[in-house]
Amino acid sequence: MNKEAEVKLVQSNTKKRRKSHSLEKKSARGGYLFTLPFIIGFIVIYLPVIFESFLYSVTTIERINAGESYQLVWAGIENYRAALFDDANYTQILTAGLRQLLLDVPAILIFSLFIAVLLNQKMVGRAAFRAIFFVPVILSTGLIAQIDTSNTSLMTYMSDTEGIGTNAARSTSVAEIVSAMDIEYLFSNMKIGGGMAKYVSQLINNIYNIVNRSGVQMLIFLAGLQSISPAIYESCNVEGASAWETFWKITFPMISPMILVNFIYTIIDAFTSSTNSVMSYINQVYGEAGKDTLSVAMAWIYFAIVIVFVLLAAAFMSAFVFYQRRD
Amino acid sequence: MNNIETTTRIKRETKNTIKVDFDRTPFWQRMKAKFVNKNFLVKLIWTIFRYVILIGISYIILFPFFTKIASSFMGPDDFVDATVKLIPKNFTFDTYKYIFLENKYMQALGNTTLLSVGASLLQTFVCAMIGYGLAKFKFKGNKLLFVLVIFSMIIPHQTLQLSLFMKFRYFDVLGIIQLLGGGSRILPQLNVTGGVTSINLTNTFWPLALLSATGLAFKNGLYIFMMRQFYRGVPNELEESAYIDGSGIFSTFVRIILPLSVPMMITIFLFAFSWQWTDTFYTSLFWTRSSVVLMKNVIAIPESLNITYAGSNMYNAAIRNTCGLMIIAPLVIIYLFCQRYLIQGIERSGMTAD
Repeated sequence: MNKEAEVKLVQSNTKKRRKSHSLEKKSARGGYLFTLPFIIGFIVIYLPVIFESFLYSVTTIERINAGESYQLVWAGIENYRAALFDDANYTQILTAGLRQLLLDVPAILIFSLFIAVLLNQKMVGRAAFRAIFFVPVILSTGLIAQIDTSNTSLMTYMSDTEGIGTNAARSTSVAEIVSAMDIEYLFSNMKIGGGMAKYVSQLINNIYNIVNRSGVQMLIFLAGLQSISPAIYESCNVEGASAWETFWKITFPMISPMILVNFIYTIIDAFTSSTNSVMSYINQVYGEAGKDTLSVAMAWIYFAIVIVFVLLAAAFMSAFVFYQRRD
Repeated sequence: MNNIETTTRIKRETKNTIKVDFDRTPFWQRMKAKFVNKNFLVKLIWTIFRYVILIGISYIILFPFFTKIASSFMGPDDFVDATVKLIPKNFTFDTYKYIFLENKYMQALGNTTLLSVGASLLQTFVCAMIGYGLAKFKFKGNKLLFVLVIFSMIIPHQTLQLSLFMKFRYFDVLGIIQLLGGGSRILPQLNVTGGVTSINLTNTFWPLALLSATGLAFKNGLYIFMMRQFYRGVPNELEESAYIDGSGIFSTFVRIILPLSVPMMITIFLFAFSWQWTDTFYTSLFWTRSSVVLMKNVIAIPESLNITYAGSNMYNAAIRNTCGLMIIAPLVIIYLFCQRYLIQGIERSGMTAD
């Protein structure tokens, strides 16, 4: 090897090193470039908004210069105290809302997983069923949900086949598809307690609401089911596993990360939806004159409770989540 | 061998086809073997069960729409007539006509289209960009940023509604306008803007445009998450070969990555568009005056239909539902065309939780 070649080798070595360094730098620059909108937004808009929101919850607002600007007056924990102890309705609505959340979340999860498994199988009319099941995601939100809440009288009127005369006499039971009595009777034969029976009958009567709220969860489960390799099912089939066994031994563990994601999504969705009783009460308080900072304090209390609940449940569930090792 | 030769007889033979006659198992025996066994029975019961459930739930989903459509064609008399259910007796287009004429429907349609298309296009593009940045580049704070995105998804905007309103009612970037207007404590003598210490952005399109452009609008955390999961499944070799051919980072994104992610972006656009279209939270928060007519203003009882009689309670509900139907009509049309992409996009995302 002569000297010239050696020099060339050294040169190319240094060149290579410099290039790899710059590639790393380039990658970092690209990363910042692409996420720049979010970084700017987070710093300029979101962080101040969260900070101010917290600030509002410990102050009261006084508008000066005829509404052109405002002044914050320090109130300490006054708003929180007022929300928890002075307001007659808040704690009641809060506990009722949280209980409702506890009941709804498992129902929505089980229902959406069940439907996703059904919609994942090959059958006639699958595309049509999928299209129908995702209708609520697109069409039953916001304004439409708001109209729907004032709609129950029309719905029962239209679906009731016995006419108005009998309708008035039994107006309470018309809306219920099944009565709690029937289910209780069924369950007492199966030696299951009355609380469970009440829960199930509540769910069945609430089915429209549950279907409406499980659209996105269904999509996420469906995506998860699609990502399970068919080879696993094939080998199960060859080994002679039944569909029931295949579901619990293969589908369920493989889908468990999705269950965690959906669990968190469902809680947050239920918690942020405007039809939620606590949220609508907070909105109502927000609309009352001079109580806007009180409503912020209420929202923070609610948020704190829900986030603690989410974290605890997520920590508990993540112990049971199965992650498939790739490569 | 011999057996086959004796039982099969060639009936007719042409150049390409051959017709052979041979002894088959009788028809009934074949049918029996196929259909009368445990396996088939279980399969049949499962199929029936599946269709009953799917059709039942489809009915639950679609029935409200049937009643809404049916009641929208009913005249006022139909609501006091006990014999009228689902099929209108006094068929009329009046409800549609008066909502169209008296509730400024066209104006609302125009404004909302402008708002929704603009906001959702911006959101789709920005979320794709942020998702790409989070998925494909290694830089300091990548993980932290992702946590912040999830964080922005978790905090409900209702919690922030007062401060969001205040932020845009008295808009200011890091106190710069306040400083220029002489409102700050540091330089009170400075007064460039003539005493203006903030800009009022409410009742304009700006608040939503700013939130969309920074990926902070309604459910944008979810969109960023979905885009990130999608881009993590795209092989790195694609960009690497583009870089070797001398393409820059941004042009690689626009020319190679964006066309790849069109199905996913349609999914996100569909979500963003329809949720923005029927949104009440932001529109009622940022539009305090009714000078800009949006879809939320359409829901009202038109003057000509405002009559008081025994069935007016029901009739008014039917009118409000008709308003709802007219609001979602454009969405239904878009959904019919795009629903295929909605599911495709999700399926291709290979969303996994890790």
